[in-house]
Amino acid sequence: MSHLLEIKNLDVKFDTDEGRIIAIDNVSLTLDQGKVLGIVGESGSGKSVTAKSIMQLNPGNTIYNDDAEIIIDNENVLKFTSKNDLKKIRGGKVSMIFQEPMASFAPAIKIGNQMIEQLLLHKETEKNQAKQISIDMLNRVGIADAEKRFNQYAFELSGGMRQRAMIAMALSTMPKLLLADEPTTALDVTIQAQVINLMKDIIKEYNMGVIFITHDLGVIAQVADDVAVMYLGSVVERGPVNEILKNPKHPYTRGLLNALPDINNLDAPLKPIPGNIPSPLDRPTGCVFRTRCPEPTHDCKEGNIEMGLIEVSPGHWVDKCCVNCG
Amino acid sequence: MINFIQFTLTRAGLSIVTLLLVCFIVFSLMELVPGTCAERYLAFKNTQGSQITYEDIEKEKIRLGLDKPFLYRYGKWVSDIVLKGDFGDSCILRMNINELLSGRFVLSLTICLVALIFSYLIAIPVGIISATTKYASLDTTLKFISYLGIALPNFLVALCIMLFMTVFYGDTMTGLFSQEYENQPWSSAKVMDFLSRAWLPIFVLGWNATAFALQTVRALMLDENDKLYVMAARARGISGMKLLWRYPAKHSLGPVINSIGFDLNRIFSALPIVALILILTEAGALLIEALARSNDQQLAGAIIFLLTATIVFVNFVTDVLLAIMDPRIRKGVMGGN
Ligand SMILES: Nc1ncnc2c1ncn2[C@@H]1O[C@H](COP(=O)(O)OP(=O)(O)O)[C@@H](O)[C@H]1O
Ligand SMILES: [Mg+2]
Repeated sequence: MSHLLEIKNLDVKFDTDEGRIIAIDNVSLTLDQGKVLGIVGESGSGKSVTAKSIMQLNPGNTIYNDDAEIIIDNENVLKFTSKNDLKKIRGGKVSMIFQEPMASFAPAIKIGNQMIEQLLLHKETEKNQAKQISIDMLNRVGIADAEKRFNQYAFELSGGMRQRAMIAMALSTMPKLLLADEPTTALDVTIQAQVINLMKDIIKEYNMGVIFITHDLGVIAQVADDVAVMYLGSVVERGPVNEILKNPKHPYTRGLLNALPDINNLDAPLKPIPGNIPSPLDRPTGCVFRTRCPEPTHDCKEGNIEMGLIEVSPGHWVDKCCVNCG
Repeated sequence: MINFIQFTLTRAGLSIVTLLLVCFIVFSLMELVPGTCAERYLAFKNTQGSQITYEDIEKEKIRLGLDKPFLYRYGKWVSDIVLKGDFGDSCILRMNINELLSGRFVLSLTICLVALIFSYLIAIPVGIISATTKYASLDTTLKFISYLGIALPNFLVALCIMLFMTVFYGDTMTGLFSQEYENQPWSSAKVMDFLSRAWLPIFVLGWNATAFALQTVRALMLDENDKLYVMAARARGISGMKLLWRYPAKHSLGPVINSIGFDLNRIFSALPIVALILILTEAGALLIEALARSNDQQLAGAIIFLLTATIVFVNFVTDVLLAIMDPRIRKGVMGGN
């Protein structure tokens, strides 16, 4: 069976004034239709860059490696250059929701007009029909007074409502793949819960594949089927969500879990992962995690380690160098 | 709509207050210059050989209304201008200022506005290209030219062109009219003659203004282009010119309009020096003459009043335009929809 999305050996580098930054290092991931893949990791770990690579949204200073593949419907979308091809992965088969719902709407164009514009671009519809689809979609995501909101600007909506509208816009073209980049991070906690519930409903209803990016393992537990843990541009552990949460193998995953507050013992001090993420300009050689590992060995530092992931139980993959740590 | 009318009226009221305030300062400065008009006139007569007594001065003062209190005279000066369009007499040249200025202010204003319009017509597309081009060398070249435009003073550009014209055409191209038309009444031939010469001051003034406007447009575009909504639009498949115009360009138009009033101000300030070099007989040159040489306060006051009124008016128009264009401001001033 072929996957909805397959990322193979993706490296992403950025040319900057300070030098060449390695943002993504040999990432491979798969996603099937109807499934939710959570990507989790501290900020700067390369989650957004991975998602943007799928739509070729990284800026002009980006360098992809030649043998990287991002396969959707048997096509390597990284090789797309023509306007028509790019359209397929931008709003056609793939849609994206961003972290800042306010900033992702153009401030001086009505929400409805932005929705119609997209529909006319991707679907064989008339303007009136596109308007109807948009209003139905706004209704579907729980926006009261959809017709009125359709004619408003983003600044006239509340934060939660804006993100609902963003979800409606992303779904209106019926994409196969939805990329949600921290869609609830900027929202209040109660609104966050509402939006997460909405997304869960919609994912089930539309049966698409979803990449759900967050730095919050608690959110992952609620929405994801599989999870990939990223650290400094690498996937250090991935597998089914229950397995990863109950039986984490990588010290970084354990660190993330330990850093969550304990519901049964709220007085216990929080245990953040010690140390800081190294600057991407001086990435550690050998095991990327060794500067923060609780028990780094001499081997971690030298080239004396095997790179890549190893399968420790069905579907559960861990970075080889850390599989026996701690 | 009610709110919009209210906004426009408030904004207009504010403009009038600004204008009155500036006029008050100008009028006060005119007062501070030692010697009244009466004294000056009689002093002038004295040099012509007439004997002047103290009573003559007092009589002249009463004739000119100079015995009245300061605020009264200020009020009369302003109300004469506003209600009758009468700027009074110049006491140095002993002529009615309206006659003195006749047509010259309109001429100056035309030169400045044409320079302004040209500079934005060029700066907007070129600034957008400079900010968004894939070719770094094109951006660098445009940036270099605009730095040159800012760094080279207007008068230097004017002198260079004059030199060039003298060497190659044997005509300095100074003045707004050729000699044969200088004192003729307006005719189609005179208009043509004017146009064949007016390009020089327009170019000299516009050169600098274009460079500034170009930098403004470029910076605004770069700023806008980096915003998330532009990437979000790209992620929806919008591309090419459609993306450019509807998203970053449209959204940086507001601040660009905002800078127009500021630029007109700058062009006005540059006009007198350019006029001096190109020997233009227009209001800017007259202002320099009045301020620096003959100390003609009435004439200087009149010209400054007209300049200020124009700038205040343009600022008023751009503010109203902005309120109509930007939905965020529009909502603030119009309420609801
Ligand atoms: N356009 C860019 N130029 C240079 N560095 C970038 C660029 N975009 C992202 N990066 C770097 O790549 C790394 C990963 O970023 P990102 O994917 O945004 O992290 P996150 O996991 O928080 O989403 C960071 O170190 C970031 O600084
Ligand atoms: Mg991110």
